[in-house]
Amino acid sequence: MKITFPNLGNARFAAKALFDDLSIEYVLPSPGNHKELELGASLSPEEICLPFKIMLGGFIESIEKGADTVLIPGSCGPCRFGEYCELQMNILKSLGHNIDFIVLDYPKSIGTNEFLDRIKKIKPGKGVSKKELINALRNAYKIINQIDNIDKKARHLTGFEINKGECKNILRDCKMEALALHGGKSMISLFKGYSKKLNKVIIDKNRNPLKIAIIGEIYNILEPFSNLYIEDKLMDYGVSSYKKLCPSWWVKNAALSPFKLNSLDIRLSSKEYLPYYIGGHGRECIGEAVMSAAQGFDGAIQIFPMGCMPEIVSKAILPTISQAKNFPIMSLIMDEMTGEAGYDTRIEAFIDLLERRKRRCVI
Amino acid sequence: MKVGIPKSLLYYKYYLFIETFFRELGAEIVLSKDTNKEILNNGVSFCVDEACLPIKIFHGHVLDIKDKCDLIFIPRIMQLEKDEFICPKFCGLPEMVVNSIPDLPKVLKEPIYGYSKSKLRTWAFNTGKLITGNPVKIDRALKSAIEAQISVKSGKENGQYPIKVALAGHPYNIYDSFINMNLIKKLNKLGIGVITEVEVEKNLKTKQILSLYKRPFWTFSREIFGFSTYLAENYLIDGIVYVSSFGCGIDSVIIELIKNKIGEFPFLILKIDEETGEAGFDTRIEAFSDMLERRKVKIENNIS
Repeated sequence: MKITFPNLGNARFAAKALFDDLSIEYVLPSPGNHKELELGASLSPEEICLPFKIMLGGFIESIEKGADTVLIPGSCGPCRFGEYCELQMNILKSLGHNIDFIVLDYPKSIGTNEFLDRIKKIKPGKGVSKKELINALRNAYKIINQIDNIDKKARHLTGFEINKGECKNILRDCKMEALALHGGKSMISLFKGYSKKLNKVIIDKNRNPLKIAIIGEIYNILEPFSNLYIEDKLMDYGVSSYKKLCPSWWVKNAALSPFKLNSLDIRLSSKEYLPYYIGGHGRECIGEAVMSAAQGFDGAIQIFPMGCMPEIVSKAILPTISQAKNFPIMSLIMDEMTGEAGYDTRIEAFIDLLERRKRRCVI
Repeated sequence: MKVGIPKSLLYYKYYLFIETFFRELGAEIVLSKDTNKEILNNGVSFCVDEACLPIKIFHGHVLDIKDKCDLIFIPRIMQLEKDEFICPKFCGLPEMVVNSIPDLPKVLKEPIYGYSKSKLRTWAFNTGKLITGNPVKIDRALKSAIEAQISVKSGKENGQYPIKVALAGHPYNIYDSFINMNLIKKLNKLGIGVITEVEVEKNLKTKQILSLYKRPFWTFSREIFGFSTYLAENYLIDGIVYVSSFGCGIDSVIIELIKNKIGEFPFLILKIDEETGEAGFDTRIEAFSDMLERRKVKIENNIS
C-alpha cells in the first residue's frame, strides 16, 4: 500500500513526518503545477470548483509515481467538498486506475465502527509500537504548529526587514530542507533552528508597513499554488500579510467543535453580519474581516474559487462591512483560467490604494 | 399588517405552507408578481455578480414588493430533513438580500429547520410574535399550514404523450416558467410529456441512493438523483431533461453522478442564466426531441 493525499499547504510537513515515523509508504504530492491543473481540469466536470481540479491532477501525478491508495478528508455538507471523493473515484476508475480511497468522514455521520474500519486500513509498518504511534502523532501536531508559526512570523516580519527578501529566503530554505529530512524528530529540531534564525532578522521597528489580512475559502488560502502564491507576492512588495485559517487552526477548531468552544472570537465578531454557520468557511470569512478591521489592518483580500457557494454569501456581505468600518476589502476569484498578469495588476492596484490611504496628507 | 412574500425559490414548493401560515395569523399577504423581464433585470443589477440566476431573481422579487409591505419574509431554510442540507446560499439568503438592497422594511429571517415539529414551532413563534401577540393563534396557524402542505402534491402530471421524459432540476427552475422559458409547454408541444420528482415514491428514491459510495447530503440531490435514475433504469421514460442554472454548485455534482449511473441513456442538460437566448434553447430541445423520436422508432423496429 502506497498512500497519497491532497496537498494542503503546510499540512504536508506534518503528514510527511507522520508517515515517516510510522514507516508507512507514501507518495508526497507535488506542490501543484500548471500541467497538473490542466490535466485535472480536462477530466473534471465543467462547473466544479478549482480545488477539485487541482486535487484530481495531483492524484493522477501521484498515481503515476506509484501510489495506490488515496487518503482524503471528508465532510458532510453543505459545501461541495464532501462529494469530491465519489466523483474522483468514478473519474479515476474510468481512467483505468484501480485506486483504493480512504475517506475520513466525521464519525458522527458514518458511525464510529465504519470510521474505525476506515482508519484501520492505514497500517503502520512492522515493529511500530503503540508508544511510537502516540509519539508520532504528537510530533505531527507539534510540527504543524511550528511550521505555521514560522510561516506567520516570516510573513509578518517582511514588512520590517532591512535586508529585503531575507524573510522570504529563510522561509523558502526552511521548507526545502524540511522536505529532505526523514522523521518527525529531525524536522522539529530543524524548525526550532529556523525559528531562532527568524528572530535574528534585522528589523526596523519604526517602520509602519502595510498590513493585509487574507481571508476566504480555506483551501484557496492554504494552498499557495491555487492562489498563485499571493503571500509570496505580498512579501515581494514588502507588505506584512496575515491569515488566520491555517492547518493548526483547523486542527484546533475541529478538536474543540464537539464542545462548541471552537473559534469563539470569530463567532462573536461575525454575529452582527452572519449569525449562522452556512457551511464551508463563510462565517469565518466574515468574522475575520470584522476582526482584522478592529485589529488595525490596512485592508483585506478575500480569495475564493469560482462558484464557491458559501463565499458568494460572504462576498455579498463584505461591502457592508467595508463601508461600516471604513476598511478596504478586495475579492479575488480563482479558477483554472485566471491569468497571472491581470491578477498581479489587481493586487498592485489594491496595494497602491492602501498606501495612498495610509500616507494621506492630512494638513 | 402587510407581509410581503417573494414569489421565488422554494415558494414554488412550499407556497401553501407559507401563505396559509401568514393568512391564519391575520396578516395581509402581498405577493410579488410572476417573474418577468423587469424583475430579472432589477435582480441582476442589485445582486452580487457571482450568484446563480434563481438567487438574482429572488433579489428582483424582493425589490418588487419592498415598498408595498411592512414586513418581508425571506426564508432562511437551513435544513429540510435531518442530517441533510440544501444549498449554503439559502442559509445566508437574508444576509445576501439585506446587504445588497437598501431601504428594506423589517425582514423576517428566523432559521427554518423543516424536519421536526418542535423546531418548526420555534420558528413559528419567533416569526409570528411580530404579527400577533396571541400564541394560540400562532399554534393554530402552524398546524393548518402543515396540514395544507401535506395535502398538496405539487407535481406536473401529464402522461398522455407518446414520449415521456423526466424533468429534473431544482423546483424553482422547473416550476418558474419565466426562468425556464416555458419549457414544459414547449416539450408538450413537441409531443413530450414530463414526469417530475413528486411522482416517484420516496423509498424508491432512497433505494437508488444506496448504490452510491457516499450518501449525498443535499436534500434536492437525493431527490433528483433518486427519481431520475430510477425512471431511467426501469425504462419508464425515454430521456432526462435537466434544467440547471449556471454556476449551481449542487447541480455540478448531481449531473455528474447521474451521468455515471445511466451511461448512454439520453440526457439533455439545459443551462440557464440571465444571458440565455430563447432561440438556441428551442433548437436544443427540438434536436433532443428528434433524437428521442428516432430512438423510439429504432427500438420498436428492433423488437418487431
